[in-house]
Amino acid sequence: MSTTEKTYRSKVTQTEIDMQPPDHAMPVKRDAETLTVVEPAKGFSAKWLALLSGIGCVVGFSLFEAVTFIESNFASSPVATSVLAAVLGIFVLSVSFMTLGEVRGYRKVTQFIHRRPKLSELARNDARQATLDALQLHASQFTRHSYAEQCYKRFTGLLKADHSSAEIVEMYRQFVAEPVKAKASEVVKRESMASGSMAFISPNHLIQSLMILWISMRTIKRVAKVYGLRPATAGNWKLMKILAQNLAAQSIFDLATDEMTNQLSGSLAAKLMENSAEAVAAGALNVRLGKTLMRLLEEEK
Amino acid sequence: MRNLLDSVLKPVRRASDAGSAQFAEWFMQSRHRFTITGLSRSGKSMLFTSLMTILKYRSEQQYQCLPLLRYLPMDLVENIWVEPLGDLPEFPVAEHMAALEKGEWPPATESVAGFQLTVRLRQTHGVKKYLLPFTDIVFEFIDYPGEWLTDLPMLDKTFTQWSDSAWAQQMNEPQNQFAKDWHAAVSEFDFEQPPTPDAINLLVTQYREYLLAAKAQGISMLQPGSFLIPGSGFDWQEYGFTPLPSRISSDLSSPWTQRFSHHFEVFQKRWLADLKQSTFRETDKQIILVDLFEGLNHSKSHLYQLRETLSNLAQTFVYGDPGWVQRHLLRQQKIAKVAFVATKSDLIPAAQKDNLLALLKDVTRGATAQLDKDEIQFEHFLVSAIQATDAGSNEQALRYVNKDGRYMEATFEPLPDSLKAMPGEEHYPALPAGVPRDHLARILNGNGLDRLFQYLLED
Repeated sequence: MSTTEKTYRSKVTQTEIDMQPPDHAMPVKRDAETLTVVEPAKGFSAKWLALLSGIGCVVGFSLFEAVTFIESNFASSPVATSVLAAVLGIFVLSVSFMTLGEVRGYRKVTQFIHRRPKLSELARNDARQATLDALQLHASQFTRHSYAEQCYKRFTGLLKADHSSAEIVEMYRQFVAEPVKAKASEVVKRESMASGSMAFISPNHLIQSLMILWISMRTIKRVAKVYGLRPATAGNWKLMKILAQNLAAQSIFDLATDEMTNQLSGSLAAKLMENSAEAVAAGALNVRLGKTLMRLLEEEK
Repeated sequence: MRNLLDSVLKPVRRASDAGSAQFAEWFMQSRHRFTITGLSRSGKSMLFTSLMTILKYRSEQQYQCLPLLRYLPMDLVENIWVEPLGDLPEFPVAEHMAALEKGEWPPATESVAGFQLTVRLRQTHGVKKYLLPFTDIVFEFIDYPGEWLTDLPMLDKTFTQWSDSAWAQQMNEPQNQFAKDWHAAVSEFDFEQPPTPDAINLLVTQYREYLLAAKAQGISMLQPGSFLIPGSGFDWQEYGFTPLPSRISSDLSSPWTQRFSHHFEVFQKRWLADLKQSTFRETDKQIILVDLFEGLNHSKSHLYQLRETLSNLAQTFVYGDPGWVQRHLLRQQKIAKVAFVATKSDLIPAAQKDNLLALLKDVTRGATAQLDKDEIQFEHFLVSAIQATDAGSNEQALRYVNKDGRYMEATFEPLPDSLKAMPGEEHYPALPAGVPRDHLARILNGNGLDRLFQYLLED
């Protein structure tokens, strides 16, 4: 059988290489339910240091006073004076460190909010690498072991060389933004239940307000933690404003329910109704706080 | 009394069961019938093997495969199962995986096989969750030898029409290079002799030799392809026919024309009509697999004949967009969505994929013109059912283990982005990649299937 006699120049050059092919890893497994936020190892924290050094100062000065009292000659105790100076130094340093941390945390939150990726714009970007860089820049702010960081790691494991910007953004939404949002909603829901319960069982308005303040702060901390922000430093004026509004709204609600209770006489049923209404209001206000925080931390629209 | 009650209630129960099955089918099932249309060596079997493996591992072991397939979200998949499809033999996925385990690619398909794959999704919408707790997504897949596909256009032709068109095709590049012996045999053949079984057999054998040689050299439009594989149900030794020179085929009184016309009709009625009914049943989504590497490996003219083949095939299927009533109540099936897929896309460096996609669009130009006319949605995709290669030392290179177990680096010059840009005297040899040792991980890391099925499944 006669076949082609033509010879074609090959446009592929091949060489043997002296190395073993790499083994492909199996794809990442989906462990959304078991993704647990690993808390960093707890060491001797700055708070404890401040507290202990404070106690140290009290004890130290007491001791110093005692020593002074015992040895009226102040020049006779140089060692004790040095120790007391050192402890006082540590106390001052640790308080300064904490303050600095708070300032850095505040700046980080502001930076986080300003650096939120505009996903719809990124999806339209033809330069795939630029999209990846923008997402990476945002993800670099996630704290280690946070839920957002783990979702991001899983997302990067799924990326392939031929994914376009639109597909990358779609996957980011599917594997990072949406799970983080769902997790944050879960936290807000749980915290709102707690807030409502606290309001319901609070014996008086002062305790109730303090409880709501505490739960609100805790909500901010926990939601921020899900989004990968340093939990203790989510302080943001916008949020504080919402928090203040919540407290004000709760107080007005208290007045209204008090008046209602007066009208209905002071029966147990009226008290129960008052507490129930306050509990619902507290829960709803906490949801409002959580949702506002989520909006602040989510992608920029 | 009990018997009497049973006899009354039985038909009622049967009607009720049938009614609930019908209800389930209408409201709780989303049935997607896929025709995967692929010429010989286009990678149908490997695609099916890969798809079944990926869905199994995704569902049972929660591997994050197919990240772009949002239509089947992993957290909503409750169950997945495979069932036989009608009377068709079961698709041999276990045998294919065993072949890969032994370091061999799945063998070429020589007979039809099918399966029905059902994915059960939990319902999440508020009220719907209580009324219709789940939705079944049913996929129907049929694997068949690609050679059968090229025979379908013969169903609407007379013997003389087919003979003339087949003869014309053989005179074109690149078929004419392989048809020289066949043409010489025909010119020496004595058509004055009566068409005895021996004489017919001689002619058919020589024609078949041409078809086999052309197939080995990457020609896709070979008719009748059913003569080439032993698994075909048509007895070509008894009812064989070949194209005849026009001086014979145009003479309706010639005993050769009469005999071959009769054999051609037997071929159409006993084989092709049944084949179309059973294997190429009407569906609503079509995936057309295209192996561009066969053309790139050989020559520019091979790519042109591939374009011609695809244009011919596009005229064979029924396209249209039936509404819900037509689809569910009137049982009318028309292909409403088409995906053109270049397979084995892992055999080129990532930097060349845009060019490969552009080339795919150009090669399918004739077929897409037909779809445009019918206002049918279509899209182009690059897919690799298994990631058999690794990144190379630069953007234009990739690495693979060849069949002798040697690790090779292949550096590509830029691929043409259109047929016009394909150089006439140059080619891109297909990389003879062997089965990688870690084939399971590489199947699960395959590329493009999620994008493809998301497109086909989304509304």
